[in-house]
Amino acid sequence: MSILKDIAELVKSEIISRETAEKIENYYKQKGGQSQSRLFVIFGILGAILVGLGVLLIIAHNWDELPKGWKTFFAFLPLIAGQALCFFTLTTKADSIALREGAAAFLFFAVGGSISIVAQIYNISGDLSGFLLTWMILCLPLIYLMQSSVTSLLYLVGITYYAGETSYWTYPSSESYYYWLLLLLALPHYYSLYKRNPESNFMIFHNWLFPLSVTITLGTVAKSNEELLFVAYMSLFGLFYLVGNSVFFQNQKSRSNGYLTLGALGTISILLALSFDWFWEKLQKGNLFFNLVITSPEFIASSILTLLAVLVFIRQGKRKLFDVSKPMDYAFLLFVIIFIIGMHFYIAGFLVNLLVLTIGVLTIRRGAKENHLGILNYGLLIMMTLSVCKFFDSDLSFVTRGLLFVTAGIGFFVANYRMLKRRKEHEY
Amino acid sequence: MNTKNKVLIVFILVSLVQLFIPAKMIFDREDVLATGKEFKFRTQPIDPNDPFRGKFVSLQFSENSILIQNQIDWLNNETVFVLLTISNDGFAKIQSVSKIKPLETVDFVKAKVDYIQNSDSTWLFIEYPFTRFYMEENKAPMAEIVYNETVLDTNISTYGLVSIKDGEAVLKDVLINETSIQEIVKKRNSSSNQ
Repeated sequence: MSILKDIAELVKSEIISRETAEKIENYYKQKGGQSQSRLFVIFGILGAILVGLGVLLIIAHNWDELPKGWKTFFAFLPLIAGQALCFFTLTTKADSIALREGAAAFLFFAVGGSISIVAQIYNISGDLSGFLLTWMILCLPLIYLMQSSVTSLLYLVGITYYAGETSYWTYPSSESYYYWLLLLLALPHYYSLYKRNPESNFMIFHNWLFPLSVTITLGTVAKSNEELLFVAYMSLFGLFYLVGNSVFFQNQKSRSNGYLTLGALGTISILLALSFDWFWEKLQKGNLFFNLVITSPEFIASSILTLLAVLVFIRQGKRKLFDVSKPMDYAFLLFVIIFIIGMHFYIAGFLVNLLVLTIGVLTIRRGAKENHLGILNYGLLIMMTLSVCKFFDSDLSFVTRGLLFVTAGIGFFVANYRMLKRRKEHEY
Repeated sequence: MNTKNKVLIVFILVSLVQLFIPAKMIFDREDVLATGKEFKFRTQPIDPNDPFRGKFVSLQFSENSILIQNQIDWLNNETVFVLLTISNDGFAKIQSVSKIKPLETVDFVKAKVDYIQNSDSTWLFIEYPFTRFYMEENKAPMAEIVYNETVLDTNISTYGLVSIKDGEAVLKDVLINETSIQEIVKKRNSSSNQ
């Protein structure tokens, strides 16, 4: 620390007193100690995860030459070792985060390893999704008993893998409704993390992994009315965006705010995808019958998510009143209306384009107003992407597309130039 | 009782469940192996991969379908009980399928409906619960070569030896002309190393 080197000089020149110098030195000593213990936690966890994964890979080799008795012994060895380590941690070193997280992470992999070996010995066919489900259920209590955030993160990855394996990657696919129950069971830990350590790295990882997991898995509810899932996804991203803009997240860096990033990117991506007419033509031909649709999982998912997003929207709206200039906050609601219109009229594609354009323009305006280059360029990026999408839209004439591009390009230069110029003027 | 003791007790219970699951898997299979009846299922092996459990030979069985009367009685992925007999050539043969668990006096295995095929007649295809034979990673590719050679020769019979008891099944071995595929691969590997 360079400041420590200067302290002697500052004391000598009587700029600071000896007492202050000691205080400064103590402060940096303590801070150094904290970062060291954090490093210890990180390396402890990484070590345990690497060893655990290594054990899994060694097991996957399938040791044919080993007699059955030995194989069985090795099935239980890492499991019992992991349990003993966790027991030791709970009884004597419950305060050590490194040991608690490391031991729990190791046991997590040992449980998977032991089921794997038994499956190998007896040629148990049970598909991968069943294996993952058993594994995750057996490890769920570790999150709470060991108060382990690493286990919670590994568990989130595991249940997402389970849902994907069951509903996306296996043919014939089946429902993975257990995922939602398993996800709910992980929520209390997330909540306690939010209460106890809202600024911790574990919280940041959860803030990314949790919305990412839900985003990946929501598609698994698709059955025969998959068009409706666009409503579900729009409401989900709307919900993420609102959560990301809540008081809790407002003071945090954008890299800690998975909700805001996923919500913003997701909303725009879906709107851009649906700015083409093909989807709306298919929707009208699809003949969604209200009485058949209302009991479909897609409809239930869409209703629940829209309702949740509306509740959060109202709650946040009460605090800072309704702000028309932030269309991302309520884009999901407009989309529901557009979707209903789109079921009967061909105008929906045009309305989506209009919505994206409005979001782009209002975002640029907000960026300019708040003198925020990030927001300004995000708005410009939305406009640019819309232009690129329209480049391939053969329904528009070449001249229209050309003019659209030239306008977007000029807008990009002018907006940035004006803001930078204004900033310079402020500096002088 | 303080919180720490409660946590410890719950942890011990969870540990016991974590130990119980693999132990129960072992115990059930050992029981089938020790007291079950053996069946030979004609096979067609190939060599895929599982990220956690390693390489295995995936088995497809020749005796995997049965003629049914009514398609709408059966659903894909539904659990069924397959009643088995032994044919004149010594291999397993499907006698019938049932949705109700048969009496223990007959030989049957719990399986799933793979799919229903409807052409001139309606066939129900079965997915057995013993389609994976795990092998050491460096032996599995050789197992595939051995299979490719044997599959062209109609005089060679490849089959899975399965122990069955009360609906549960354990795959004991995969044999090519009465010799374990493990032995054949081992011999091939050692002769190719020399």
